[in-house]
Amino acid sequence: MPGADIALKEMAWIIAGLAAFYFVMDLLVFRKHPKRLDYRGRLLNVLIAAGIFAILAISVKVFTWALLFQIFLMNIVDLCILLLATTGVILIFKTSVTTNFAQGMMATFGAFFAATIVMKLTASSSVNPTLNLFIGLISGILVSFLLGLFIDVAIIRRGRYVTSVGKQMITMGLVMVIMGVIPVIFGTNPVVLPAFSIDVKTFSIGSGMYVIPVQSLYAIGITAGVLILLFSMLRFTKWGLGVRATASSEMVAGMMGVNTHVITAMSWAIAGGLGAIAAFFYAASGTQVQVASMVPVQVNAFMAAVLGSFSSFGGPLVGAFLINIFSSLAPFYNGTWQTVIVYGLILLLVLAKPLGLFGKKTAKKV
Amino acid sequence: MSQVRLWLEKGIASFKKVTKHPYFGFIVFGAIMLIALWLRTLNVLTISVINAVVLTMIYSIIALGFSLLLGYGGLASLGTAGFVGLGTFLLGYMHGKLALSLGLTLLISLGVAIVLGVIVGFISLRIEGMYLAIITLGLGEILRQFFISYETFTGGYSGTSMREFTFFGKVFVSGDGAYFPMVYLIITVLFVLAMIATINIIKSPTGRALLAMKNSDSAAQSMGISLIKYRLLAFVISTVFAVLGGFLYLMHIKFSYPPQWSLNFSLEILAAVIVGGAQSIFGIILGVFLIFGLNLAVLNYIPFFSENPALIVIFNGVLIILVVMFYPGGLIRLLQLLKIKCSLGIKRLVVKWKVYRYGKDH
Repeated sequence: MPGADIALKEMAWIIAGLAAFYFVMDLLVFRKHPKRLDYRGRLLNVLIAAGIFAILAISVKVFTWALLFQIFLMNIVDLCILLLATTGVILIFKTSVTTNFAQGMMATFGAFFAATIVMKLTASSSVNPTLNLFIGLISGILVSFLLGLFIDVAIIRRGRYVTSVGKQMITMGLVMVIMGVIPVIFGTNPVVLPAFSIDVKTFSIGSGMYVIPVQSLYAIGITAGVLILLFSMLRFTKWGLGVRATASSEMVAGMMGVNTHVITAMSWAIAGGLGAIAAFFYAASGTQVQVASMVPVQVNAFMAAVLGSFSSFGGPLVGAFLINIFSSLAPFYNGTWQTVIVYGLILLLVLAKPLGLFGKKTAKKV
Repeated sequence: MSQVRLWLEKGIASFKKVTKHPYFGFIVFGAIMLIALWLRTLNVLTISVINAVVLTMIYSIIALGFSLLLGYGGLASLGTAGFVGLGTFLLGYMHGKLALSLGLTLLISLGVAIVLGVIVGFISLRIEGMYLAIITLGLGEILRQFFISYETFTGGYSGTSMREFTFFGKVFVSGDGAYFPMVYLIITVLFVLAMIATINIIKSPTGRALLAMKNSDSAAQSMGISLIKYRLLAFVISTVFAVLGGFLYLMHIKFSYPPQWSLNFSLEILAAVIVGGAQSIFGIILGVFLIFGLNLAVLNYIPFFSENPALIVIFNGVLIILVVMFYPGGLIRLLQLLKIKCSLGIKRLVVKWKVYRYGKDH
């Protein structure tokens, strides 16, 4: 891409300039001001918004709107996967106060099951392949759902007094167990999951022509449906109220008559199901389903959760959007260092806002 | 006669004094390791077992540094793999390719480690708890990507290999008879030194300050403990240990492949520290052996496991889960409990014997 190198340098200068401006303002102007902390927070918000806006503006200058939109369309499956995975991570963090390293593995387990079912169905009957895939997807979701339920009921619930690092270790142990169990159950033969469709759809908005893979349309539809359902459940049902109550304090919620056991078990199960959808779309590209394939997605989901803040349900989704935009643009700027650029940006953002972009400061009694 | 008795008592007293010394256990442990090397030269121990022993020592050094962060500082960091990898590549590049002397390489690497530790330490001042774990995880990913992309330094996907090193003017080439014993010796000495350094840090005011910080930042600060100083110190020490571990890893394995320094390795170190017991040095060694050495040294010789390699992974996972659920203080707690139970049982037996011998005390 011509001009990408120069644009990258421009961005680096802009970020450095914003950081320098912040330090100058903080150390020289706000120094003796009684409302220093307040002003500092506001200035930081403005500068972050300005920085992200500047990055996007430079990208528009280099790529033009049409190309940017096209890039976004091509990466929309990744966005859906990341959104689903992030929601799973955040649900478990809210109810069990731990980062679930087994999220990716639970998901992969579901994807393996789905792929096996799809392969059996395609081999035995000549029903239309889309239906087969849907049956596979639903069975995969169910299996991961049950797996999540089982993990909570059999393991996490019994370790109530384990610290949160201890719970992390339990999920890490689960990763190993599931990793060992997968080849035992599904055999060592390669498992392949076909895509819903390998066609692309062309459409035009205004004067521009855009291309979108039909597979992404399925992904968008399913993801949007599931997430809207989940978030409306969180907002409007008794279960959602229970989740929010458990998230703010498990003990108090229990005393108020919320059945926290059911809440956490359901959260684990739903997280498993969401993961299974994510893994299904991640694997459904006609290539082999692999045991460790969900690990990078899971790392990105953690990053998105930190970036958007663990303290809200919506923030991580914004974080996932940002990460997806960064990581889909980065290869066009610099192919070799793309991961470094993306993680570096996230690191900078989190350093500027340690509680996440939408985090609220919680007062702690000492 | 009484003279002899006096000497004997004096001898026993001084023996007790020596065995009670905190270094005694470590030096005995080092000596046992040297005996293991001797047994290897006599072909009593197989390659796989001695390999497990060496890996346990190397990873124990890394885990000791890590335990200062986690067990004493309460700071969970998942960037360990990146630092260990950095150590291997620094040695491979500077000593292997640029042919700098080992001492100079070590000095420069320590400098790099300290700078990195300070950077992570500063990050840890702003970000805490679970957030810190995830951000350091990101840092580890950045380092890994850096290793993969920066080919002149690490060799990219073909990795770095090191076949020989110069130590005090003598060249040791791999495949030579003297190579493995020399590496083993260096590793053992550094391992014992690392244990001694760790116990010194733990028992010093620094360790106490770290413990205070773990329990409560605010309380520690109000007692006059400088958060910035001790956090940076903890991270610097841990990074230095990790880089040293990387050095030894490259010396022993002779090959380092950039993609291998991933999240998985950091998690395994974390698991080792948690399983063994984050606050006890022998506990950490036990944990490292269980996670890294057990399958090489023991499970491979049990037909049930060697026929189904997948079961080894499952076994490790189940072990981690069970230990964390039932012995939150680590497996070393189990051993301590056993010790207490045994001594109680012996006392009871003695009482019973006395009752039998002399009759009941009315």
